[in-house]
Amino acid sequence: MTTTTRREVLAASLATAAFAGRSARAQSKDPIKIGAVLSLSGPVAVFGIPERDAITVAANAINDKGGISGRKLEIVLIDDKSNPTDAARGVTQAASTDKVVAIIGPSSGSGILAAGPVAQRLQVPLLGPAGTIAITDKKNEFWPWIFRVAPSDRVDVKVVLQDMAKGGFKKIGVMYQEDAYGKTGLDYAGELSSGLGLDVVESASAPYTATDLTPQATRLRNAGVQAVFLQISIASLGVAFVKAAQQVGLTGPAYANAGLAQRSFAANAGAQADGLRVLSIGNIGFDPSPPEAELASLLRKAGKEPQGWGELVGSNGLMAAVAAARLIGDGPITGPAMRDALEKACGFPTYSRGHACFSPDNHDGWSEDSLTVTVVHDGQLKPLQG
Amino acid sequence: MLEFVVRGLLLGSVLGILALPMGLLFTTVRTIDFAVGAYALLAAAVAAAVPGLPGLAAGLLCAVGAAGVMGSLYLLLRRFGCEDAIVPALMSFGLAVAIASLVLLIWGTQPFLREGFSTFLSIAGLRISPQGLVDLAIELGIVATLQAVLHRTDLGRMMRATAANPAGAALAAIPVEALQFATFAAGGLLAGVAGLLIMYSSGLDFTAPLGLTLSGFGASIIFGIGSPLRAMLGGFAMGTAEALGAGYSSGMVAGMVPFAFVLIVLATTRFGEHGLAGDRL
Repeated sequence: MTTTTRREVLAASLATAAFAGRSARAQSKDPIKIGAVLSLSGPVAVFGIPERDAITVAANAINDKGGISGRKLEIVLIDDKSNPTDAARGVTQAASTDKVVAIIGPSSGSGILAAGPVAQRLQVPLLGPAGTIAITDKKNEFWPWIFRVAPSDRVDVKVVLQDMAKGGFKKIGVMYQEDAYGKTGLDYAGELSSGLGLDVVESASAPYTATDLTPQATRLRNAGVQAVFLQISIASLGVAFVKAAQQVGLTGPAYANAGLAQRSFAANAGAQADGLRVLSIGNIGFDPSPPEAELASLLRKAGKEPQGWGELVGSNGLMAAVAAARLIGDGPITGPAMRDALEKACGFPTYSRGHACFSPDNHDGWSEDSLTVTVVHDGQLKPLQG
Repeated sequence: MLEFVVRGLLLGSVLGILALPMGLLFTTVRTIDFAVGAYALLAAAVAAAVPGLPGLAAGLLCAVGAAGVMGSLYLLLRRFGCEDAIVPALMSFGLAVAIASLVLLIWGTQPFLREGFSTFLSIAGLRISPQGLVDLAIELGIVATLQAVLHRTDLGRMMRATAANPAGAALAAIPVEALQFATFAAGGLLAGVAGLLIMYSSGLDFTAPLGLTLSGFGASIIFGIGSPLRAMLGGFAMGTAEALGAGYSSGMVAGMVPFAFVLIVLATTRFGEHGLAGDRL
């Protein structure tokens, strides 16, 4: 797998380099180099590979229309191997060797946190496609250099809880996996629920490796919860919970956070997952909005089937960089100039839903309106009616 | 409370099946195969990919094949003069990681599952999936068979002889190496069965091997490694501890409870004399 990936990366960069070199001669203008430090191997590759695909096709689409003020985009792809150390190293390489002016990635929250100080030192903004709250915490010394191009985990939880409140539920339960992702979900649910008229009456947790979640489902059922919020990103735990809930007679809908909004989950979870509600960033796979459909057709033309929201957050990163470069216009495009321009980028075109807007005070560009609640049906994520 | 115990016992039947190969191997070969969870994963992954009964057979075959690889590696080590039991145990860790990576490479992070029963039995007010009872029945069948084979057949006597004194057994014209290899393979088969049962009852993915191995290992040592009966009881104890932990512990520690339980049992019983070291079949 690693060799294939390396070969692909090499091929992609050679192709872009050759292309960019030709256009540079033709127009005597240098290309704008954008880094993409993404998880192309390892467990986060489920998101990193769709991110890469979307960035590549979207950049090609912009180049086909003449680029930005006559300058082409050149994407420098680097694999962070789902590993924070390689993420920091990749950002170093992109900024100091490849001289990129902005970097999309790293793919995971821990990768972005590890690479933040590097980005600050080398003066290149990071466009982070992860929900982890801490990446845009203003207490980070490197805060000015990080821009989030996905909705944050907190926004995710809020949208799920809002939908529960809309459904008339009062007593809710939380089922979470025993890691940082699970714990933050539980904490936000506790924090946000009272404002929405909800009461978290019970919670249950499971390690990644649990094979049977009937005890957890029993515990939630005994507490009389009307709906369950699943803060789970491991697909098999999600399936195990749905099965356990049916077995112990835990009726009432289950709402999964965006972690489960993956094509492979919907397609493989089987009939027993029917009715599970899943939060999703748009719905490029099964119910695309017009811009999502446009991105999907670009991907299909390149022989890639859209997987889920990885493509959307990846394209968000590219479109934010493009918006910043357009704002700079004919001025010199450098890392610091891109950073300053990103803080002024607001309401720019993207492929995802909602209004994208950064400001000097807000580096979380996407909010509630980029999310949608879907329901699993027949192996697909369908829009939730009503 | 009673409900958690019942669910724990049903879960424990699968853990017991995982514990059996550990005990069998320790008594005949004097080492531990930590790739047991990975064989279970491999069986489930293959069975989920190939529809119908052939899929189940293919899954079991792959699990046995992977265990055969481990058995061959073990014999190879012996040929090279390695007498240390820890070396093959560590090697099995490597094999487990390799199998999990292979599964991740081929199938990605998708869960492996098959539709099981969709109607549930109501027993004394408890809704139970018939799958749980199937798991239990299969386990009882396997344990009874193993007990009979070990104590009532020539094969069992040869296995016990190999365990007690490999050199003596070889002198008595017992095919020691073949028996050792067969024990690895049988372990793969049992682990494969456990993997298929988990696939039907809850589903599993590439992250499963380590957890399954550790649960199986805990179940196999808790009442002394050795007899199939003890492995079964160990499985029930682990399952119950897991269910009670999930039902009553507060936040983030459900995964820890069963292992804390193993620790307490081992620390308070005469572990060194009768547990791991002394008891034979």
